Amino acid sequence: MQYNGCEFRPELHYDKDFQIWIRPEQDGTLTVGMTDISQTIAGKILHVRVRRPGTLRPRGKPVATVESGKWAGPIPNLFDCVIEAGNPRVLAEPALLNIEPYEAWVARVRPSGGVEQALQRLLTGQQAADGYAERCRKEDIHCKRSAR
Amino acid sequence: MIAERARWRVIDFGPRTAAQYVATNRAILEARQQGLAPNTLSFLSFSEPAALVGFHQSVDQELRRDYCQAHGITIQRRVSGGGALYVDSTVVGWELYLDRRTIGSSDMLDIARRICETAARGIRSLGVDARFRPRNDIEVGGRKIAGTGGTYDGDVFLYHGSLLVDFDVERMLRVLKIPAEKLQDKAIASARERVANLKELLGEAPPMERVLGVMAQAFSEEFGVDFERADALSPAEDDKFRAALAEVETSEWVEQVSRPAAEAPMLEGVHRSPGGLLRVSLAVDLAKERIKQAWFTGDFFVNPRRMVVDLEAALRDSSLPDYRATVNRFFDGYPAEMLLLRREDFVAAMACALQTLARGGDAASG
Repeated sequence: MQYNGCEFRPELHYDKDFQIWIRPEQDGTLTVGMTDISQTIAGKILHVRVRRPGTLRPRGKPVATVESGKWAGPIPNLFDCVIEAGNPRVLAEPALLNIEPYEAWVARVRPSGGVEQALQRLLTGQQAADGYAERCRKEDIHCKRSAR
Repeated sequence: MIAERARWRVIDFGPRTAAQYVATNRAILEARQQGLAPNTLSFLSFSEPAALVGFHQSVDQELRRDYCQAHGITIQRRVSGGGALYVDSTVVGWELYLDRRTIGSSDMLDIARRICETAARGIRSLGVDARFRPRNDIEVGGRKIAGTGGTYDGDVFLYHGSLLVDFDVERMLRVLKIPAEKLQDKAIASARERVANLKELLGEAPPMERVLGVMAQAFSEEFGVDFERADALSPAEDDKFRAALAEVETSEWVEQVSRPAAEAPMLEGVHRSPGGLLRVSLAVDLAKERIKQAWFTGDFFVNPRRMVVDLEAALRDSSLPDYRATVNRFFDGYPAEMLLLRREDFVAAMACALQTLARGGDAASG
């Protein structure tokens, strides 16, 4: 699904501003990535930094940070969690976030209060699709991907 | 009905230490994000000489730590992106804390451009021809007079810059690892060709009050707002400031990104051609395969003269494997007169510098 050229994946979970997507994994962890909207707004990403595995990140403290065009910004964190891993491919080649934002995940985290509780804070399904489309429309966001 | 103009806060913090500067950035940004602070323009100067690395930079890759320690230069980490800076009491910091809705754009490059163009307009009213140079510099005649960078959190952002009112270029060369290492006696002259300051351009340093006034005026006009002066942070911001200060004064904050200096070597190349002698110094990031910075010097003719710094700007933070394409793209869109010098000579000088990688980074000629 696409809105203004911004890809939306209905199977994922999102924050209310559609900055990040989250996918629950079988092992009780959550995979976190940047949405197409987010990577477009950021522009070409030159740096990604993920907190060390094992680090406890309280709600509100970013799991990772990115930098593009002299802007540093967070990958926000909506629940207490422990960092399990950063994506080595993305850490080595941050521009992957601009090429394939839904494949190039940023971090895997283990939510301290369990997966279910973490997902309660997120949007999914039709509600997420409507909100995603609304943000694209309201802010006139047209997504662009970098080529490989 | 005439719509009432929006009001933003303006604060002049005066001299601050590097840690206070960073803690202030964090405090106001966080307060703005939580709706506890209004849109704000602030100013400050630095009460101590300091080297400020960008948020994602490594101190050992960007700074001469031994020199800083021996000369009482504080090392601190900014919250914003971009490159390392040397600052002291002759540098004015200006900062905007806004939300994106105020700007009416989500595009970070657009936001940076609009703010930089406005800041340049303010600086121009001091009597110098300041212009925005993409991506993030403000220059006068090809020489950088202000660097800028930003950070965001959700819908709010901080965008700030450092304006050189007077400047110690020699000190900067000793503090920052920039591609002038092997230029020796020519390093200062070469740096002066790339960096300008208000005192030098105007004959005397303008009073700080005037600098702040013209900047505020430019932002007021651009965004159609009036400024309301405040003397200090609000109590809520002050609490955040104290908490942030305690964190940023630690080595954990300053050293949070640590990468080996060997991954960011300085490479030198010399190329002789009928067009003249061309020397290039390249600061590269081998792990990320990027050119961080390039400096071309030598004995050659180009018109306009600033073509060299524009080429350097095009190469900044560019892909290392694609350097030929970057140079070609630059010349495709840049009308320049070079007599016998050709674009291939710039490529050859860079190739020569890169060949030294295999030999351990020694100076070479080709």
